[in-house]
Amino acid sequence: MIKVLFFATIRDYTNEKETTAEGASSVEGLLRLLCARYGPEFEAEVFDGGKISDRVIVLVNGKHIAHTGGPLTPVKDGDTIAVFPIIGGG
Amino acid sequence: MDKFGSIVRINLTTGSIKKESLCEKTMKEFIGGRGYATKVLYDELPKGTDPLSPENKLIFANGPLTGKGAPASGRYMVVTKSPLNNYIASSNSGGFWGAELARAGWFMIILEGKAQKPSYIWINDDKVEIRDASAFWGLDSHETTDKLLAAVGDDKAKVACIGPAGERLSKLASVMNDKNRAAGRSGVGAVMGSKNLKAIVVKGSSRPHVENQDEMKSVLATAMEKLKTNPVTSQGLPTYGTAVLVNIINQIGGYPYKNWQGAHMPEADSQSGETLARDFLTKRYSCYACPIGCGRVTKVGDREGEGPEYESIFSFGVCCGVEPLEPIIEANYLCNEYGLDTISAGVTIAAAMELYEKGYIKKEELEGGPELKFGNAEAVTYWTKKMGLVEGFGKKLAMGSYALCEMYGHPEFSMTAKKLEMPAYDGRAVQGIGLNYATSNRGGCHVRGYTTSPEVLGLPQKLDPAEYQSKPTWVKIFQDLTAAIDSSGMCLFTSFALGADDYAAFLKAATGFEYDGAEALKAGERIWNIERLFNLREGMDTAEDTLPARLLNEPIPEGPAKGMVSHLPEMLPEYYKLRGWDSKGIPTTGKLEELGLQ
Ligand code: SF4
Repeated sequence: MIKVLFFATIRDYTNEKETTAEGASSVEGLLRLLCARYGPEFEAEVFDGGKISDRVIVLVNGKHIAHTGGPLTPVKDGDTIAVFPIIGGG
Repeated sequence: MDKFGSIVRINLTTGSIKKESLCEKTMKEFIGGRGYATKVLYDELPKGTDPLSPENKLIFANGPLTGKGAPASGRYMVVTKSPLNNYIASSNSGGFWGAELARAGWFMIILEGKAQKPSYIWINDDKVEIRDASAFWGLDSHETTDKLLAAVGDDKAKVACIGPAGERLSKLASVMNDKNRAAGRSGVGAVMGSKNLKAIVVKGSSRPHVENQDEMKSVLATAMEKLKTNPVTSQGLPTYGTAVLVNIINQIGGYPYKNWQGAHMPEADSQSGETLARDFLTKRYSCYACPIGCGRVTKVGDREGEGPEYESIFSFGVCCGVEPLEPIIEANYLCNEYGLDTISAGVTIAAAMELYEKGYIKKEELEGGPELKFGNAEAVTYWTKKMGLVEGFGKKLAMGSYALCEMYGHPEFSMTAKKLEMPAYDGRAVQGIGLNYATSNRGGCHVRGYTTSPEVLGLPQKLDPAEYQSKPTWVKIFQDLTAAIDSSGMCLFTSFALGADDYAAFLKAATGFEYDGAEALKAGERIWNIERLFNLREGMDTAEDTLPARLLNEPIPEGPAKGMVSHLPEMLPEYYKLRGWDSKGIPTTGKLEELGLQ
């Protein structure tokens, strides 16, 4: 089971804070699977054309996918994926 | 009055009030606010001055953009020698007070001496008076504000004041303006208290001068477009405030738990910006001319107030092992009322909790107050109050984390850099921010060089927080740019959408001085170096460019950043080199000549 956490405005599209998923082997595959579950608004936020959108921050076990292999970052049972919109503060 | 506003020098011992012209050359080179005020302090304050003596100077300074309609341009600075660490104190605040000072025609207030009795200053356009504040001494910042507005007979005037913490010289005391906005850090409120100065009340009626109005309009239009389309300034901050950071910093494993004994809190979502917005937020608050509006007006039970910011949720929450938001909000309200810095207050309580749990602080010392145990929410609110009133065991807490831990023989439990309590990002999980804390001129501070932005939030570029080789370059650029922004009078949060060229364009339109992005950065570097020179003259040993041993030697015990320590020793030499300092961290003659500081 892969655990997926949603934060901030992403929750507006999922109507839940977290879920579980299985059957995906990469981050991109996992997000595609979730698009089928949450519908076009979620998809429009998470994907831009064919690519994971710049409007989201995706972490795999606390590491930004930009530093772990991008969309092809492998995911497996027991992993935690966190999806945030672009945010800031101080 | 001078076109960019004048300087008023007030000697509280003699009662003399003198108007001075500002120097346009200094303004060009040091911009204003933080930079100009530090230059004045550096030139005028004799080495070794006791920060709480009448000889210390307390400077309130606007930037050349304060109150002139640029976005989020209500900022002013309080600059003095810090009683917490004897180094430069330079605290920034928003709200409306600074803009009102600009409308009254003043750029800067230099306070000297010590009043014989509690006093306040009333600035009504060009009339400046020192008045008796005996009737307001002892009141909290909210009561003080209401009563002073009644006393001056103008409810549109703006008040900057201290609460009981500043009066009683707590080294964690802030200056509060517009009730809930704080020039919080480094004990600037104690310096104000040491001068017997309760408040500065300001009312202005003129329109601050802008050198080139047409240019200002066009720069403003470009900047507003960027702020409106940037997801952080148009959505994230307005919707959730700074507290939106709780979850992401926790998720990367850099959320300092129980006085940095951990860096991850499983229940963090219950104290997040999302929860705050859902359960406690009543409306947003915007400072002067701010299109972002990150301030939170909240309600808990029958209490209403402002905050908490992310930093305060961290300090009273995760850092003290406390999960629910209610006591965190209450502690935050108390800090606003008593005039205490929320970061320093919470982190000091966390240090006291570690000392207590390890048996160094004894139960009897607490005089029946709640036990200082991690997770004890009642202790957080109770001891914040005692700290604000500087009463009982609260007297020891009011000295700050470093002095407290040192008194108990365990300075290693003090999570400070240069004795200033560190904010809410673990320098082991986020390498650049650790370097920034270690080298910040005022000590452990995130907003001197907020590299969390690229390291965690991916703005303006995605940097790996664990990587450390590239960080010295980023830290230097962020520190220099921030010094320029702080000196301009605009809010640092605009920098999520704007860059050096935008600030330079605003400065050029407002002053007519030829600025471009590179020159604004150069001015920032000049400011950084003069702050460094101030500290070195006060006897700072460059070995103090460090972090608590816990961050250097104790790997993060659990969570996503498990096993990480700070690579400060590897980053520091490169940072010194990039700064043009020698291998010991002393600015070289060549660098000082280049910056015109020789
Ligand atoms: S962004 Fe927030 S802190 Fe900055 S000026 Fe606007 S409301 Fe004030």
